[in-house]
Amino acid sequence: MFRASPMLRIELLCLASESQEMALLLARQGDFGPAGPAGGAGAERYRELYLEACARLDKIMEYCGQHDTAPIPDDAIAPNERELAGINHRLQAIWQACSGCHEQEVRMAEEKSRLEMLRETYARLAALDVDPARLLRRDGLLDSRLGQIPVANLKRLSEALSVAGYLLTEFDRAGDQAFVVVAGPRSDEGPAADRLGGLLAHAGWRDLPVPPELRTDPSVAAEYLAAEGRRLEGRVADHCELRERHWLQHAAWLRQARVLLALARPLAESALVGLSGKGQLVIFSGWVPKRALAGLRAALEVRFHGRYLLTSHEPGPADAGKVPSLLSYPAWLRPFTALTRGYGVPRYGEFDPALFVAACYVLLFGAMFGDVGHGAVLLVAGLALRGGLARLRWIVAAAGLASVGFGVLYGSVFGYEGLIEPVWQSPLHDPVRLLKLAVGFGVGFIAATLLINAYNRLRGHRWGAACLAGDGLAGLLFYLAAIVGLNGWLAGTGFGLGPGLLAAAAMLAMAVWTGLETAGTVGERLVVVLVESLESATKLFANTLSFLRVAAFSLNHVALALAVFTIAGGLGTLGHGVAVVLGNVVIVVLEGGIVAIQALRLMYYEGFSRFFAGDGVEFRPLRLVAPETRSGT
Amino acid sequence: MHVYLDTRVSLFRSRLWPAAQVAGLIDAADAELPGLLEQGGLALLAGGYADDDPRSLEARIVAILLDETRILLRPLAGPARQFLVYWTERFEVSNVKSLIRAKMAGDSAAATAACLLDLGYFAHLDADALMRAEDVTELMRRLERTDYAEIVRNARQAFEESHDPFILDATLDRAYFDGLVRRARAIEATTGPGLARLMADLVDRTNLVWLLRYRFNYGLPPAQVYYLLLTPGYRLTPTLLRRLVGAEDIAGVLAGLPDELAAPLAGATAIPEIADRLERRALERAWAEFSRRGEALARALAYLILREAGLRDLRGILRGRRLGLARQDIRLAAGVA
Repeated sequence: MFRASPMLRIELLCLASESQEMALLLARQGDFGPAGPAGGAGAERYRELYLEACARLDKIMEYCGQHDTAPIPDDAIAPNERELAGINHRLQAIWQACSGCHEQEVRMAEEKSRLEMLRETYARLAALDVDPARLLRRDGLLDSRLGQIPVANLKRLSEALSVAGYLLTEFDRAGDQAFVVVAGPRSDEGPAADRLGGLLAHAGWRDLPVPPELRTDPSVAAEYLAAEGRRLEGRVADHCELRERHWLQHAAWLRQARVLLALARPLAESALVGLSGKGQLVIFSGWVPKRALAGLRAALEVRFHGRYLLTSHEPGPADAGKVPSLLSYPAWLRPFTALTRGYGVPRYGEFDPALFVAACYVLLFGAMFGDVGHGAVLLVAGLALRGGLARLRWIVAAAGLASVGFGVLYGSVFGYEGLIEPVWQSPLHDPVRLLKLAVGFGVGFIAATLLINAYNRLRGHRWGAACLAGDGLAGLLFYLAAIVGLNGWLAGTGFGLGPGLLAAAAMLAMAVWTGLETAGTVGERLVVVLVESLESATKLFANTLSFLRVAAFSLNHVALALAVFTIAGGLGTLGHGVAVVLGNVVIVVLEGGIVAIQALRLMYYEGFSRFFAGDGVEFRPLRLVAPETRSGT
Repeated sequence: MHVYLDTRVSLFRSRLWPAAQVAGLIDAADAELPGLLEQGGLALLAGGYADDDPRSLEARIVAILLDETRILLRPLAGPARQFLVYWTERFEVSNVKSLIRAKMAGDSAAATAACLLDLGYFAHLDADALMRAEDVTELMRRLERTDYAEIVRNARQAFEESHDPFILDATLDRAYFDGLVRRARAIEATTGPGLARLMADLVDRTNLVWLLRYRFNYGLPPAQVYYLLLTPGYRLTPTLLRRLVGAEDIAGVLAGLPDELAAPLAGATAIPEIADRLERRALERAWAEFSRRGEALARALAYLILREAGLRDLRGILRGRRLGLARQDIRLAAGVA
């Protein structure tokens, strides 16, 4: 529970022609996590085909809005490279058809919104005192055109056109599109295309079709738009039919392809890491939990009848930092591991803080939110959580239970302090005592985190960092000596020579270590040593004072309840009841939420940031799973 | 924290190689090169000197620049931080262009991946998903759903109308630089005149070089050239640029420049020479900003400009040596006397 499960490094040799079957067996077993360099096994091409095929299948499924899952038969075998290439090729053809359809849909949607805009624009154009038919005549003196461009390009296009002697006038705007007239002198210096080049294309220009009779008969525009609308609707209907036909034509094969890709996945994943080879042989390298090795051997024997060679050994110093962490927890602790996982994974061999964090979090929450009534509400609410929030069920329930416990200590039920006798004291009874206790808890918590950090480094054979770093034993010595000294100073007995010398020696050790660890010039090192030593020292005490919030929030909880009763006291009987109920709801929801975040903040910032890098490698065994597909559109 | 940034930038001064150190790299024996690079704080380049893949050298240079930018970003917040983050996004715009080119050429996903720069912390795009688009249209539509929508939207519309890869590249570049100018303008009032001076150099230099290339190399009409330039507003004003794009030849353009820009270009006749002189001048001015204390953000930007130029010079030297070019030619290309 406090460390990851023991692992073994394995090498598994087999025939290259059976590599996809070997990968499939390892995935079915679910105990092999590939690791180490890959290459030479010829699986790169397999992986590339697999990834291409998966990407295409995903896109097809997303486009068709289909995302059902198909079961994988127990006796199914993985496709070889040639079969996979065939699957990929067919998926490419299907996706190209779908992609064409999709592009059509996008264009039709754009066309639809364009027709809507045109409807408005024609109405305004008809009201202009200009004859568009004459304006756009090819034999006129003006080279003019009507069109639309994104509003963002308007100013720049107008300036650029002025260089060629053209004038741009905006006559309408709809959304991010501006409708404009561009006009310039028709000259003998070559056609307009020569003078403007690709300017209009750069600006996202689209010509605006104007029926020639628009000026003389406004109803022509309406007819034109209606005809365009009918044409578009016809295209949409044809398109929907085409899309449906596509799906019906390929649905059965696509389901089969998904199963085949799921079977191909183990080898495709291994190609990236842990699979190497030469000639007709390949080697799967990786990690297996010690307890699973016998089961794996048995399964290999049944399937391959000796056509393999399996070797295993314990991780050595060269594997430091590479061994994956397989973390197993008792069922009651599992829901709380989310608090640790939110930050990262402990390294193999390091202290796993899941229990420490769960206990501290629940304790801190209870201390800050101590009330029998509010805690009971949280307990019931937590147990009632369903759906996506169900994973928080036991964390909320345990926090509620801790609140009930501290409520008994504080003698508080829904803010009423006279209903039960406090086993300890109400927070308001002696706030200073509470503040001292909070700081004391903070000192213990920070000392524990420094100790854990030193332990982790010692486990990793990083002796120097464990002993001399600011977040190692030197930091712990400095911190405790300074705390003892400050305590004496506050009590009037002075800082004391012993604590002073110890703190100074520890600080010197920290400075030397920082100097050694910093790369750069002497000047650069000096600045870093000065800044970081000062920061390490001040940070420890700032972090300690951070725990004052534990006392502050427990006082705040009582103060909020008092505020509710004060408001309720000024109201009639009914108003009093409503105010008390509403006030308690606000306390549970609002303050409960804030306290939950504050407790988590204390864990992450004052705790994890000190001893838990969270950069361990999680053990991820090969597994047989269906390819991921996004939900349909 | 700006004092900290200022100090951090000052400490980076030792990473800018003086000319003599660069020259030493040209003259050194092959066996000495890795050692010299390591001594100069470029262990990352030393490790790859033996590689034959020039792209890997480029990737390592970008990695160094991004690592240093990340250090400089630490004390920054708000619009100043956004500006410096956006400064790094040109590497991702370069990735976008590589993706588009690869898609046009029908390259495989693996071949495309080899062309992309690894931007680590600064990466915003899901390159894997983008690489698996079937064609340019699908790729552009996907890009429009990313942080680069603003940059890509115009490019897609323009590309759909013309199917011209040049239009795509030009529109992407312009959209990126316009975003940079907009972000700089938003903070110039609070950061002091140093940032405005650096941006003026960058924008004016880019506009002038693009103007000359588009007008006289590609033969585009003046109106189109004007449209493709960055939003003017520094020394090259809109009115002046409209006049310059109408010039008949390079000499006409140079004659129309304000004295401050014309002086360093006196006697230049070819576009590469003009671009080179403008770049050298911009680096001198960046060095002046870097040496001026007080404006931390401007100094940080100046450092990044100088550092990138220095690293690219080193890349040129390493490549030249690998190709077996004469020492004198390498010296000339690197601008080392």
